[in-house]
Amino acid sequence: MPDVKMVNVTIDGHVVTVPDGTLVVEAAKLVGIEIPVFCYHHKLDPVGACRMCLVEISPGPPVAQAGCIRPVADGMVVKTQSAMAVQARADILEFELVNHPLDCPVCDKGGECPLQDFTFRHGYPTSRIDGPRLHFQKPIPLSPNIALDRERCVLCYRCTRYYDEVAWEQELTVAERGVHSVIASQFDQPLTSNFSGNIIDLCPVGALTSRLWRFESRPWDLHHTPSVCSKCAVGCNVTLWQRRGQLVRVTSRENDDIDEGWICDRGRFDYTDVNDPARLRVPAVHGSKTTWAVALNTVADGIKGKGSKLGISLPQDLTNEEAFLFRRLLDGPLRGAKVKMHGRTALPAPSGEQLMIKDIDDARVIIIVASDTENDVPIVNLRVKKAVSKRGAKLIVIHPDAVDLDRHRETVHIRNQPGEAAAEVRKLADHELLHEPGGPVAILYGDGRGSEDAAGLVAACTELAAKVGAKLMPLYRGTNERGSLELGVAGWDSLDGVEALLSWGPPPTAGVPASVKFHAVWDHLPRPEHQNASVVLPATSFAERQGSYTNLEGRVQFLRPAVDAEAPLKESWDVLCELAAALGLPLDYVGIFPIQREAAKAFPALAALAQPPSPEPEPVPVLMGPARP
Amino acid sequence: MSALSSHLLEEIKALPAKYPQPRSAVMPALDLAQEELGHLTPEAMSEVAVALQLDPGYVEGVATFYTLFHLEPVGKHRFYVCTNLSCMLRGAEDVVDRLKAAIGVREPGEVSKDGLFSYEEVECLGACEYAPVVRLDHRYEVDLTRGKIDSLVNDRRLVRSHVKTGVRSSLDTTPEPPRKKPVRRTKKSG
Amino acid sequence: MAEQRGTVGGPVLTEWFGRANLHKLEVYEKLGGYEGLRKVVTGMSAAQVIDEVKASGLRGRGGADFPTATKWSFVPKDHPGPKYIVVNADESEPGSAKDRYLMENSPHALIEGAAIATFAIGGHQAWIYIRGEYDLPYEKLRDAIAEAHAKGHLGDHPFGTDYPLDIRLYRGHGAYICGEETALLESLEGKRAQPRSRPPFPAIKGAWGQPTAVNNVETLSTVPWIIRHGGAEYAKRGTEKAKGTRMVTVSGDVQKPGNYEIEIGVTYRHIIEELAGGPFPGRKVKVFWPGGSSAKVLPGSMLDTSTDLDGLKALGTMGGSGGIIVMDDSHCVVKGAARLLRFYAHESCGKCTPCRVGSNWAVRTYERILANEGSQIELALLDRVQQGLQGGRCLCGLGDAAGWVIQSTMNHFRNEYEEHCLHHTCSVEGALIHA
Ligand SMILES: Cc1cc2nc3c(=O)[nH]c(=O)nc-3n(C[C@H](O)[C@H](O)[C@H](O)COP(=O)(O)O)c2cc1C
Ligand code: SF4
Ligand code: SF4
Ligand code: FES
Ligand code: FES
Repeated sequence: MPDVKMVNVTIDGHVVTVPDGTLVVEAAKLVGIEIPVFCYHHKLDPVGACRMCLVEISPGPPVAQAGCIRPVADGMVVKTQSAMAVQARADILEFELVNHPLDCPVCDKGGECPLQDFTFRHGYPTSRIDGPRLHFQKPIPLSPNIALDRERCVLCYRCTRYYDEVAWEQELTVAERGVHSVIASQFDQPLTSNFSGNIIDLCPVGALTSRLWRFESRPWDLHHTPSVCSKCAVGCNVTLWQRRGQLVRVTSRENDDIDEGWICDRGRFDYTDVNDPARLRVPAVHGSKTTWAVALNTVADGIKGKGSKLGISLPQDLTNEEAFLFRRLLDGPLRGAKVKMHGRTALPAPSGEQLMIKDIDDARVIIIVASDTENDVPIVNLRVKKAVSKRGAKLIVIHPDAVDLDRHRETVHIRNQPGEAAAEVRKLADHELLHEPGGPVAILYGDGRGSEDAAGLVAACTELAAKVGAKLMPLYRGTNERGSLELGVAGWDSLDGVEALLSWGPPPTAGVPASVKFHAVWDHLPRPEHQNASVVLPATSFAERQGSYTNLEGRVQFLRPAVDAEAPLKESWDVLCELAAALGLPLDYVGIFPIQREAAKAFPALAALAQPPSPEPEPVPVLMGPARP
Repeated sequence: MSALSSHLLEEIKALPAKYPQPRSAVMPALDLAQEELGHLTPEAMSEVAVALQLDPGYVEGVATFYTLFHLEPVGKHRFYVCTNLSCMLRGAEDVVDRLKAAIGVREPGEVSKDGLFSYEEVECLGACEYAPVVRLDHRYEVDLTRGKIDSLVNDRRLVRSHVKTGVRSSLDTTPEPPRKKPVRRTKKSG
Repeated sequence: MAEQRGTVGGPVLTEWFGRANLHKLEVYEKLGGYEGLRKVVTGMSAAQVIDEVKASGLRGRGGADFPTATKWSFVPKDHPGPKYIVVNADESEPGSAKDRYLMENSPHALIEGAAIATFAIGGHQAWIYIRGEYDLPYEKLRDAIAEAHAKGHLGDHPFGTDYPLDIRLYRGHGAYICGEETALLESLEGKRAQPRSRPPFPAIKGAWGQPTAVNNVETLSTVPWIIRHGGAEYAKRGTEKAKGTRMVTVSGDVQKPGNYEIEIGVTYRHIIEELAGGPFPGRKVKVFWPGGSSAKVLPGSMLDTSTDLDGLKALGTMGGSGGIIVMDDSHCVVKGAARLLRFYAHESCGKCTPCRVGSNWAVRTYERILANEGSQIELALLDRVQQGLQGGRCLCGLGDAAGWVIQSTMNHFRNEYEEHCLHHTCSVEGALIHA
């Protein structure tokens, strides 16, 4: 750890000791002082564009200075409340409002809008703005999911900077100049990035809003629940927002170990199924609604004692708790059943110490093999981009096709024949970039979506890692693939020829085998494949679930129900216990905690389950701002 | 069918090598495209982007920032009339009025019916000692009067085949330099 | 065919102007040109070059008035990669035309100066960023660079040495803000020209991320003379603190507009009345911009002000880019200020809020005033906007300059503003029209 020089700064009379180079706005936060910002964002490079953060700094020229681009220096004195600073910020806010439409009553940002808050806290008490405002056509659809309101935009450039710096794309840019500058998607084509939705969270005003949730409610009317995204194995942290039993939005919840505050568009926008009026809510046997008891007994009868003639299709997002119960079923009454987990890779369970996502930051060389990271592990893809463009790591990609990481001109892309990735990995040991990498080397590998021989590839990567001293990260795709592997339920069996099928979640990728005579379905939406099912059980969606996932790096994280599983819907662990009972295996848990405690004891990888954290979200610290002029 | 000719695209692809970093080639490339087409269409900008391995949005952002890139059709001869302070003090407003009448347009950017002319009101051209000034066909015309405007327009009406670059500046007191590569005429491929 | 308007045969910059074909290498060299570069590459160290320029007291002529030698010394000596000199030939400040005058007449002086500067910072390449509208200067420079290469003054072995020197040209495409040095660098990198936040400063991270010194055309064109005659010789001219000579462009309501080389310290009366022939008969100088449109105006009563840069600073204005715009008593100050605000609003890059919004707000306010819709409110608004544009609110100097135009014209000519806003008349241009 290099020695960082510490310096003392005085901010409004409070002395704070911070590492040299800390920005004034960040130092102020440490002593509980709010310096308002629009363009500054702690995950983006500072630009000093909006001028909202003006403060008085001495020593220095006798003018206001932007706190977001000024690193502190020893002995610096910052005044956020001096007459000069207060007036400067009030002037800026007045400018922000000169052309602002002031349509707060119909703006979705209202209630969580920094522009509103800052105007209240730092602006002039009365408006002196008269005369016509500039107008733009609005709102403009940027994509099916995002709307842009140019009149509300304060041109902080967070959205375009994010696109350029973090996502490495320029489909969202600024066009024109001066007061006519506008945010624009290229030639008005819809945005296509898988990372577009983050700009909604970033926008400090109501210029970028979700089209899935418009004009519905005020943020203070919503309940929010901290949870984990259930769409892939990265395990980004999210906040689920609920109103009147509906899931109305998903936002990111910054966790620097994993997502750094970004989520992909699947995680953000792929939730409307939760509120689908067609949701299955009542069990049915041969198409007629019935009770859980009847339905589960029918299932039990249909699958009991079938041995290898029973096939089970599992969803990718089953929780560790559900997997643990399933494991007990497979060890007991359902022994011998063929299991196929949905959406998983062919990669085996990891062995030895693995690379953690945050370690990618410090890698000097990153090797990515057989994975289209943009779609397979989206937020890991952003982490790799950060390591490359912000921290100077070198990147080697082994993949048959073009990938989005090619956007960096220095990416070394080795195009292998499908199935030959392992051979290319072996050749890498002599690659010039690996002679003197100058720091840690990271190897991230997928399974080429089935095109590669997983065992061979793992062996080659492990060999290379040993040679060059690298750490490995298997890029699982299934949400809880890693947890299920550790619990031994992440089956990879063919379901051909089975006579009974229990299909939980979406139907098997290969379809329902023709040999199936008894078909039990456990799903949250009706689907055509349910047509001839003997039993249909209603399932909870990710928003109604509780439990935990193990992400691809082995981190156990808790998801919490944002929406109540209203009867007759039952939580999955409860259903599994009752099914076990019907199969003759008494699993008597009074809630999810005993399951977690037991699983924690039985599986070292799940030790974290012994102590689930408090479900209450951490309170947001309130920073005190200076009075308005 | 592409908007830009294939030899031009080849020329554009060779540009990045001339600069320490390839992005610097964007403006020279747009320049070439504009020279060929007269103005920059979305297709042309996208093709430039592809040739330089950039996103079209990036190129659009750059092209819309600078005033010398035209995103709408322009006349064959463009008058960039300075209307900034020094020229204004010396009658630039008059010059603009006369010019509008002479080429028969009502506002900046409008192309005359014969397609020969359009004009733009621009900021200081850095030749204030010659105010009022206009930049026309890559040369400055200075000390403008109504009569001079009329003759600049009439000369170009009469000699339709007038070569864009052959015109000597009235500022140019030096002998003719060796003629460089002729400027490409508007030519569409395919 | 128009004649060159300005000083010929002056003391430093225009020493050889007026000689036929000075833009030709042959002529330039015969007069003593390229002696400076020869001296530097064959017999001096980079530190010696910087010391010589330091002794001259030369300060930047692009507007910021920063000591040139000091700027060069900020470029790290031990940087492993390339280092660049970037020549600011974007001259777009209203009222300023002197860089064009220098490049058209004596392109080799700039090339020689740029090469010397490149040597002084330990670099090998200089980039000249020239505004896109300057066709003739571009061609002159292009041909001159080719000549210098052909003659072996540039290239891998200038004057037979092993110190490669190369000069490249890059054309702008119409944006005043490209004159601001960090916006210029963005533009040079192929981006939208929006000023960068500092730190890092260009000396540490400039063009293409490498250490860079940005210098104005006039600044660098002065350097060969300093090397030829010695810094001390240059320092004999000018005032105690502001040394040497400089170019000024005089334009507007004068009889002999042109680019004049003056010794720093002469008065504006000398420049406007003697060099530029004074106002037209029967007219008086009402107001003048002492250093480009961005310098706060001075009223005609202050013609005896000295061009001493520090003296101007004390008055709250500046020598800036040397563009002296003269307005006589037949022209309306409000209209003039409105036109300049239109310029600043049009050229605002749009990056920072106060300049983007404020300049446009001012334009719309001026429009109302000139349409005789003004009132006390408009007067108060202009005051408000000019304050909001200054005092560190903006990221770069463009916004401040827009504020200064409003502030200084209102300060000296409040009567004209009040006439427009409160009485909806113009006794200046209105009177003329009715006369
Ligand atoms: C808005 C703005 C416009 C400028 N325009 C020019 C210009 O056209 N030419 C120039 O040389 N410097 C211009 N400058 C000054 C440059 O930023 C920079 O200080 C100068 O090029 C440094 O060169 P020097 O030290 O030789 O003066 C401008 C500055 C600002 C803020
Ligand atoms: S749309 Fe929002 S994030 Fe983007 S520039 Fe405007 S205010 Fe900033
Ligand atoms: S002051 Fe104006 S020109 Fe300068 S950065 Fe701000 S918006 Fe751009
Ligand atoms: S937050 Fe500092 S300038 Fe925008
Ligand atoms: S004001 Fe017209 S050229 Fe300068």
